[in-house]
Amino acid sequence: MATTSLITDAPDDRPSNIESTALLAGEGRTAAGTGLKRFMWLLAALSVIGFVGIVFRFINDDGRQDWGFYAATLAWMLTIFGGAPMVAIAPALAKANWVRPVARIASLGAIVTAIIALLMIPLLFKFPALTQFSEVLGDDVRRRSIWFDSRDYAPHFWNVLILLTLALVGIAMAYVMAIPDFAAIRDHGTGWKQRWGKKLARGFYGRPQQWEWLKMRIGITGALYFAMLLYTNFTFSLDFAVSLVPGWKDSLFPFYHTISTFQAGIAFTIIGVWAARRWGGMNKYVGHEQMWSLGKFMLATTLLWFYFFYSSFIVFWYGRSESDSATIKLLVSGPYIYLFWTVFFLVFIIPWWIMIWNKVRDSVWGPPIAAFIILIGLFLDRIRIYVASWSAVPDDLELATTSILQDMPDTMWPDVFDVFIMVGLPALGLLSILLVTRLVPLVSLWEIQQSRLITKPVRFLRSHVQLVGKPD
Amino acid sequence: MAASNSVLGLYDTPNAGADAMDGLKSAGFELGTFDVLTGTPYPEGAFGEYVPQHRLFRFPFFGAMVGITLAILFTAGTQLAYPVITGGKPILAVFAMLIIAYELTMLGAVVATVVGIIFESRLPNLNLGAYDTRITEGYIGVVVECEDDRLEEARGVLQTAGALEIKTA
Repeated sequence: MATTSLITDAPDDRPSNIESTALLAGEGRTAAGTGLKRFMWLLAALSVIGFVGIVFRFINDDGRQDWGFYAATLAWMLTIFGGAPMVAIAPALAKANWVRPVARIASLGAIVTAIIALLMIPLLFKFPALTQFSEVLGDDVRRRSIWFDSRDYAPHFWNVLILLTLALVGIAMAYVMAIPDFAAIRDHGTGWKQRWGKKLARGFYGRPQQWEWLKMRIGITGALYFAMLLYTNFTFSLDFAVSLVPGWKDSLFPFYHTISTFQAGIAFTIIGVWAARRWGGMNKYVGHEQMWSLGKFMLATTLLWFYFFYSSFIVFWYGRSESDSATIKLLVSGPYIYLFWTVFFLVFIIPWWIMIWNKVRDSVWGPPIAAFIILIGLFLDRIRIYVASWSAVPDDLELATTSILQDMPDTMWPDVFDVFIMVGLPALGLLSILLVTRLVPLVSLWEIQQSRLITKPVRFLRSHVQLVGKPD
Repeated sequence: MAASNSVLGLYDTPNAGADAMDGLKSAGFELGTFDVLTGTPYPEGAFGEYVPQHRLFRFPFFGAMVGITLAILFTAGTQLAYPVITGGKPILAVFAMLIIAYELTMLGAVVATVVGIIFESRLPNLNLGAYDTRITEGYIGVVVECEDDRLEEARGVLQTAGALEIKTA
């Protein structure tokens, strides 16, 4: 039987290449232009407030416990902005066609990792060295960490280096993915955009060899980003949380941290897709298929969140040593019990209940609602973990000499400067992404155009399907 | 009551099969009384066929509810009947019970799903109706369930669409 005879042409209302190229001039968001500018000014103002919060945090600094909310905010930013590029990487490595329109939104999260690395510097001043008070305790007495007998400031140095490496490879990936769009901006843009397009396109003229190199560079930077993201989550979570609580020994915690990073990255991308449709004029480019596919991944990571939490928790719960009990009390049943249950519902129960329904998962409004709830829940989760850790044993001498958490700290509440920081720093991250989108289109135009080349809406007998020519 | 018949039209192209389905619809045969048989999966609705809404998702949900209920009764009952304190934990240790609860919830969901698959697939189907083994070679079968009084009409529609052979069972 001749299969081709089953397929007939169907109306194609997808945007043309010319239409897509018009987006380079920012036409896609003219409808929301004024609103977007106002929103960016708002974010800028909030960012300034965030910096004011940091300054006053230094001025009103009574010890390490005052920096818990700052650490939690950075951890949350790493969770969402650092995790988002994985959405661009993993499906692309598996050659999934649906991911093309959302790859840009996801990859732009990498920009913020550089800001996180810089924002980490103030935190390092409050982060204890491995050996404290050596004149009193001697060099042999070291606080517990994954750095064992390394130099005193090993965690400080390596964590900055790791985050900078993550930022470097992330920005490199985002840049490489945008090179063909820069070439289009060079050719069709005007004014400052064209000048920047010319600089950033780096002589890309679309030769077969250049496309081949591009593909390889995206693959290599993507794989490296994935490796670095795992490593960053490993060191960040162990150094800035686990090592600050005497007796907290949990080899599963970095995995828990990482899986919630994937969960948040997907949630962030879903909200980005929704915003791009709602305010960015991208209805023709991203939509139903992307929401559906991302929604399934988000449901999977939501289930994994509980799996990793429970796997870790049951060991402590049944272990029942003094340190196990103290750790559970600190993080779950003690000063943050209400926060824990809120997190449990926001990160697991509610999104799970929303996303198990096919009709909801298969809509353009269901996944963003679940994604928003997850992001709020993970913010509270990071507060639960990092604020508790930073307030567990604020005294450096005690931290170096204590192996079990003896005195349970009180619940820490944010003061006004913490609120400034918690609002301002994520606003700065979002602002940096929106600033980049002044030049770089919110959707990857060359990938959309490639998708258009290799797919075609057709009529298959009596139904409508997408004909996909999947490249090798 | 007239006897029910199963009439099969065999086609060598999907287009002809789709035409037969269109013809049956036009002739006023009710949706659900005729269907298409193929050896490979075609996109949903390719033949304009009636796509029944499956209810399979209800089975694992029901099974899971039964499973978790049994698990709670089982673990709570056992521990209350034989109260041995383990690791200083309460007799009814929720987090330990959760592991059994998860297992029985999954077991209930899995068993119910398997039952649901058998039920929803109408297996075992002892009344096969008209069939032709060439369908698994790529031929398209269009099968109509009808009463005696519409038998000839059904055969006529299938023939008009270009059936290579028509079988009645």
